[in-house]
Amino acid sequence: MKPILRQTLPLTALIAATAISIAPAARAEVPATCVKGVDLATLGPKSIVGQGPHGEKAASPEVLALSDADAAKVKEKHFKVGISMQTVNLDWAQLQIQGITDTLKKYGVTVTGVASAEYQVDKQIADIENTIQQHPDGIISIPVDFTATAPTYKKVAKAGIKLVLMDSIPTGLKHPEEYASMISADNLGNGQIAAQILASCMPQGGTIGLVNFGVDYFSTNERTKGVRDWMQKNRPDIKMKQVDFTDPPKVSQIAGDFLTGNPDVKGVFAVWDQPALDTLSSMRAQGIDVPVTTVDLGLQSAIEIAKGGPLKATGSQRPYDQGVAEAMAMMNALLGKETPAWVGVQSLPVTQSNVLESYKTVFKKEPPPELTDACNKAKPACN
Amino acid sequence: MTELTAPNVVAASTRSDRRRKLLQNLLRGERPYMLYIAFVVLLVVFSLSSPWFLSVDNFLNIGRQTTLVSIIAVGMTFVIIARQIDLSVASTLALSGMAAALAMSQISNSWIVGAAAGLGTGALVGLLNGILTTQLSIPSFLVTLGSLSMARGLAMMVTNTKPVIITNETYFAIFGEGTFLGIPVPIAWTLVAMIVGILLLHYNVFGRRIYAVGGNPTAALYSGINTKWVTTAAFVLTGALAGLAALVLSARSHAARPDVVQGMELDVIAAVILGGCSLFGGRGYILGTLFGSLIIGTLNNGLVLLGVSSPMQLVIKGAIIVAAVAFTKR
Repeated sequence: MKPILRQTLPLTALIAATAISIAPAARAEVPATCVKGVDLATLGPKSIVGQGPHGEKAASPEVLALSDADAAKVKEKHFKVGISMQTVNLDWAQLQIQGITDTLKKYGVTVTGVASAEYQVDKQIADIENTIQQHPDGIISIPVDFTATAPTYKKVAKAGIKLVLMDSIPTGLKHPEEYASMISADNLGNGQIAAQILASCMPQGGTIGLVNFGVDYFSTNERTKGVRDWMQKNRPDIKMKQVDFTDPPKVSQIAGDFLTGNPDVKGVFAVWDQPALDTLSSMRAQGIDVPVTTVDLGLQSAIEIAKGGPLKATGSQRPYDQGVAEAMAMMNALLGKETPAWVGVQSLPVTQSNVLESYKTVFKKEPPPELTDACNKAKPACN
Repeated sequence: MTELTAPNVVAASTRSDRRRKLLQNLLRGERPYMLYIAFVVLLVVFSLSSPWFLSVDNFLNIGRQTTLVSIIAVGMTFVIIARQIDLSVASTLALSGMAAALAMSQISNSWIVGAAAGLGTGALVGLLNGILTTQLSIPSFLVTLGSLSMARGLAMMVTNTKPVIITNETYFAIFGEGTFLGIPVPIAWTLVAMIVGILLLHYNVFGRRIYAVGGNPTAALYSGINTKWVTTAAFVLTGALAGLAALVLSARSHAARPDVVQGMELDVIAAVILGGCSLFGGRGYILGTLFGSLIIGTLNNGLVLLGVSSPMQLVIKGAIIVAAVAFTKR
């Protein structure tokens, strides 16, 4: 076969296959009650509903407050604290770090450094070992993996360093010997918020799709559980289908294929905001318009909610407040005080009607112009 | 009589030879035929297994999903034929996307400015890769391993790892969400990249020089080819195409993020090798590359439609890719 034919025949076939494309039909059957049918004041749990990884009851961040005398003691000691994150490449992570550093600085505690493991177990192990070598008084950390990093976290206590954890507890670590406290959002509550809003958008007997993180991780497991439990209790008519991803950059492809293979899915819950945004990207490409809810609030997800598009709501964490609680727990531990095994931070429901105010609550600053512009275009629904 | 029958005998013999050669090629697993057969087998298997697979919408899904890998793989084909490798393409994409988004948010909210910044940044990274490889004689594996890290780091540094929001609707329509002659624009851009790639590689003196440089660099040099320039041009092309992929991705997601598509360079290299390109240079086809990319995309798509669990998908995908390369090996 001549080269030109060999090149052009399959190419022609391919072009012909794509050229017959037609705009895919949108599946817009969203009830008028969607979001509007939910009273913001009654949305979501009013207290911490989840339990800690070992079934602990939640303590409130208020129990970590320091008396003036204790605050003075902390200032006298000039403590040093290191931070080991799984990534710094998320609004969530940066707000946590800001909350921790602002609070520690207020009490004269020095942050020796912030290590970012970039989701790599071996790097986090090295980060923690290096931080131990700096002989800080405490380490605040979120484990990339709660099994593989456990032996390294045990070395922290052995070195006489106090450990405060975010969101997850490495396997086998005992409280209070090996860690002072674990602080996390009420992920179960956040899942319930996402479920309640999504249910308001679903017709009787409809099917929702859960875009779930297929890795066994406490905080993300709790979110999906929150959605499932709420639906089974309050909307047993709704059927649920689930697709798992393990590689976050592949969500757009996986969610798109899942929606193609399950055309009965009329609403989606994605386990955090970036997978939700990637799902939206796929939906836009395929001309699908179904309501989506998620957990966590970032600038882009806030803009999508403000626009009044498919992303209807999120059950937001309060990462800055969580960071403050982590710093407070650390200072309590450094003073030798008893600290609760699990401190839960209250959920925050975010919809189009309160997105600007919620942004201020979560980010502790005024919304940027991109968000206010999106909101102004969507007024009066967006306040 | 003899004069009349001889050409017929020769013609018949030639046709027979051609048929026999084609059959031999197929049985031996000669590329690229086996590649197309492997693709068709996948289509048949998934069509019989999933009621949702065989539809125009789903083929468009596959087309859109393979866009990034396909576009960059066109450039990677040139690089690999020239006996080089470019590990920095995913990081170049991330940096180019950030450059495009920043240019639109800081300089002018014009899609032309964004596109120029994205393509220019990609081409610049490619140029640096090419110059370092050819002028300093550092192996491209090491050069691009370094630029992989540097480009990703720069992408993170410029906005302190935060995403940059894009608001230009025209940009979305041109690179991410519109249609051109009924074809979704990401697929249209893939076709553009591929057609340019085919013309450059198979119907242009530049393509012949790339093959010559990859096939035997010393002979190419002695025959008057500026091997350094040709190799550098292949890197520039790959970088620019990574820039184009960045425009498509950022327009689809309405933002540029520094942590996108980490590890995608492996998918790109897999697509090129699966498509018949030799890692030792001198051999490769743009269309083979495209089908290599489509095979990977079809596998990803089909396994999700079948509801295969995520870890099992990785196992099956890896096994099929290895088997496909083994069967299509000369």
